[in-house]
Amino acid sequence: MSAPSPEPVDLKAVVRRAVAALDGTPSDTYPTTSDLTIDEELALHSIGWEPVELVSGVSIVSIPLGWWNWGQGEITAASEAHRHAFANAVTRLHREAARAGGHGVVGVRVEAVVRPTHVEVALVGSAVRPVGAGARPEAEVFLSDLSGRDFTLLSVAGWETVGLAVGSSFVFAPRRSVGTVLGQQTQNVELTNFTEAIYAARETAMARMQDAALALGATGVVGVSIDEGPMSFASHAVGFVAIGTVVRPGPSGHQRVAPMTVVPLDDAVVAFEAHALE
Amino acid sequence: MSDAPNDLPEATERRLEELERGLFTSDLSVNEFLLIKEVGFHPVGLVMGSSIYHTGIQTRKWSQSQELTKLTEAMYNARELAMTRMEEEAAELGADGVVGVRLDVNYYEWGKDAAEFIAVGTAVKAEDGVSRRNALGKPFTSDLSGQDFWTLHSTGYTPQGLVMGTCVYHIAHRGIGQTLSTTGQNVELPNFTQALYEARELAMTRMQDEATRLGASGIVGVRLEEKSHQWGSHTIEFLALGTAVAKGPDPVDLATPVTVISLDH
Repeated sequence: MSAPSPEPVDLKAVVRRAVAALDGTPSDTYPTTSDLTIDEELALHSIGWEPVELVSGVSIVSIPLGWWNWGQGEITAASEAHRHAFANAVTRLHREAARAGGHGVVGVRVEAVVRPTHVEVALVGSAVRPVGAGARPEAEVFLSDLSGRDFTLLSVAGWETVGLAVGSSFVFAPRRSVGTVLGQQTQNVELTNFTEAIYAARETAMARMQDAALALGATGVVGVSIDEGPMSFASHAVGFVAIGTVVRPGPSGHQRVAPMTVVPLDDAVVAFEAHALE
Repeated sequence: MSDAPNDLPEATERRLEELERGLFTSDLSVNEFLLIKEVGFHPVGLVMGSSIYHTGIQTRKWSQSQELTKLTEAMYNARELAMTRMEEEAAELGADGVVGVRLDVNYYEWGKDAAEFIAVGTAVKAEDGVSRRNALGKPFTSDLSGQDFWTLHSTGYTPQGLVMGTCVYHIAHRGIGQTLSTTGQNVELPNFTQALYEARELAMTRMQDEATRLGASGIVGVRLEEKSHQWGSHTIEFLALGTAVAKGPDPVDLATPVTVISLDH
């Protein structure tokens, strides 16, 4: 009961120290942080790149009350909030990476949550640069949600990663009238009103992602991940979010990679357990 | 079949137009992307088709094993709608085929008997300009990954289409007399065995019929899924799904595989 209470942590001071560290000029003796695995780091070094710093960008944008349950067509407040949250988080990630002397950020983990009253977006990744290269202006820093390994593979094949393209759309699915529900009770029918709502959300979100990609000067978007479905808190609202990494061919164009057929001699995964030694 | 929503959102037009001008989108991983380029194809776009479908009601007899044709029809129709819409998007883009097709069923809160059937894949086009469409003149579809697609090509086979067969079957309950007479004994339950056999055979045969129609010489990567969806334990959907393939005209030299000890975890 009378144990001494732990010293209170001065959170503001901790944040100030962390931010001040980012202002320092990276040098050979400057410690690097990254969430890359050893394999990824090795792969990066093989093409002459190195990690510099773990960077993040976070944004929370509010959605006004009462948008989820009534109305028709697109839920513009939600789509806008989602777009803003992503744009802010991306800008912050660019800024942090540029400050740390990175030319790009790889392995960006995207954590985006849509709640009734707000959208949270958190992006965390490792800033990377060609070994020993100087800083690059903020606007030229690239982002990619591909792993360090995929980044290496793309560079070897002559492709450049340019950035992250996001498109999102939230749409109301109209309710069926009681008469229609009863009439369709025993039949095999397509529910066209719902199909249309899903299509509207999908097409709008995909078009937005493509617009974002084109604005970045893309030739293509790879590794598109899709998160779609009804919102858990509003039964007649559907959401569709597409995120992908924007790529374009580098100056040398596409290089063939000539894969080999191999038979891996791996065992089934054996995890080392410390207590097995006891 | 043609009562599909025909006024697609205006964003669709813009999206497809951007794709036709040379931008590509794909849900392929980097490995798959490079392997597909290696085979001589280029991704043209992520294509999707979906349909929200309401399944009707069919009465089942408690003690009789039978196919529930109305439900089978519903599962077929809804999947065909989704697949056809995806193929149409691919055809619109001038694609030769669609790889990495995923077929999913999602249940929503809108209604107990309503489900979303969705087909998603990456449309690809041959870089040499020679059409690789299937025997029906449509883009081929395939649920093979980019890795499998590359391997299949290096053996000289080409995918013709994603083929499926489905059967919704009601398996009879056993009577009290039957249950009592087998208590404590090791016996096969012939009515259950037979019902499951029949349902599987129906689904497999339907899948093979689809492959024959495509002029395929075989089906690879077949998966057999058994799902109860929301019909209770005695009603089961058997779904057989695979990629129909045909042997190309050129003889191929299969590369000898290299054995490696990888350092992965």
